[in-house]
Amino acid sequence: MSHVDEGTLHAYLDGELPPAERTALETHIADCASCRATLTEERALRERASAVLGSARPAERPAPPLEQLRREPKRSPWRVRRSFAWAASIALALGVGYSLRTPRVPAAATPAQPVALVQDRAASTQEEKAPAPPQRRPNDHRAARVADELVARDAARADSAALVATRVRGAAVAPAAPTLADSIRVDASVVSGAAARAERDRSTAPSLFVDGAPARQSMAANWPVISRRVAKTILGEEPVGLPGLETRTFRRDPETNAVVVEQALDSSTVIQIFQRPAGGAYPYDSSEAATASASRARPRANEAEGLFRERGNRLFARFVRGLRVEIKGPLSADSLNRLLEQVAPLP
Amino acid sequence: MPDDIAEVYRNTYPALVRFLYRKVWDAERAEDLAQEAFARALVHRPENTRGWLFVVAANMARDEARRAAREKRHLILLKSEPDVFHSSPEEDIDAATRTKHVRAALDELTPRDREALLLWDAGMSYDEIAVQTGLARGAIGTTLARARRRLVEAYDAGLEGGQHVARG
Repeated sequence: MSHVDEGTLHAYLDGELPPAERTALETHIADCASCRATLTEERALRERASAVLGSARPAERPAPPLEQLRREPKRSPWRVRRSFAWAASIALALGVGYSLRTPRVPAAATPAQPVALVQDRAASTQEEKAPAPPQRRPNDHRAARVADELVARDAARADSAALVATRVRGAAVAPAAPTLADSIRVDASVVSGAAARAERDRSTAPSLFVDGAPARQSMAANWPVISRRVAKTILGEEPVGLPGLETRTFRRDPETNAVVVEQALDSSTVIQIFQRPAGGAYPYDSSEAATASASRARPRANEAEGLFRERGNRLFARFVRGLRVEIKGPLSADSLNRLLEQVAPLP
Repeated sequence: MPDDIAEVYRNTYPALVRFLYRKVWDAERAEDLAQEAFARALVHRPENTRGWLFVVAANMARDEARRAAREKRHLILLKSEPDVFHSSPEEDIDAATRTKHVRAALDELTPRDREALLLWDAGMSYDEIAVQTGLARGAIGTTLARARRRLVEAYDAGLEGGQHVARG
């Protein structure tokens, strides 16, 4: 064998030389001091080049949830999240005040034209708000937008049914995690009417219906009231809810192991938080998610969501530890999404 | 059957961001483009997700570069530095200087050599690099050897030049 060229040496160092050539090269190197020296040089060059290149790298940040990409390819989710906490609290306050003075409007029986309510993409929502105040750019003032939505709620409700659900990816919410808002990501999305009903039929747990939601709501209202202790037994862990809100009742679905926690925003506004053990249907490993970095833990749960997405439907829920959680109440979808983000094990 | 995109996403996202960063030299933009590439993959469901992603990403970076040139909006290097969250200003400056030198050194490579090097650094195999660059598989080793040598030489020359200026 003649002396080895540097390309072959690099392929060898890269582990990309076919086995036969590799054996031949190693045989030659053993006898050829010149090629051994060259190999040493090329190895140093290769490592140096790798180090040089490696010194110019972006700060590694966690990958956003996979299923969020389709909706928000241009936006880093992290910047959005921070405003959620206070936006949710404002939504709460506004919701309390508003619901006190708003008569309940009967829900539309059948969603004729589902309304798309997507966080930060309120364009379609705006269209529903004929009597609403002047439009704002979606990113301008979240609190103001929430207020708009609350004001426009009845108008939107009368026109159509919005099916909105929320799904949270990935990271576990540690029981007392102070970084709650950072450890979860919410992906609010839209379910079209027919598709959502199909999805709902497949699901044993109630889906989340914001406006015009029919069956499940009344059904849940008839679910037997249980004690918190029983709820814990059914769920296998502490039930979850919105910390700081009065918990009115715990109910159980007579047919499944779902539990609903009813919490009062005020005397006339009740938020229902459906929850059930995520079980095997949702590949969620809270211990992994709690300890691993967000980017590493995430895609595990993404798989299931990716599949749902691919069917053109979405199943929305948030996972809090081992529970799959959905939320429902007489608030706008956006507000509910933000409230859902606050859900944590009850103290 | 198409690859599991979630799996590819977990394994490849950082490498794709890195790959794009060294083309657009803007960390946020690189993230945006990488996410856009994955978003497209979710729609297209390519058979070979990883290879497909890098092709798409390379195309996007190229479009990006053309657009930037068209708008004559050449990025000032300091503005295109990656977001550094956990480092001091001194470290930022060092990182900026380093990045500037690496960028300049990479610019000394031929486009094809540079592409092969960046793809290898992103974890692509020789086979994948061959498919993407159109090079023969047997030429990849030679290409990478040349690219590495050129990169190191240009980088060292840039450092010396910088020191010379600093002294002078």
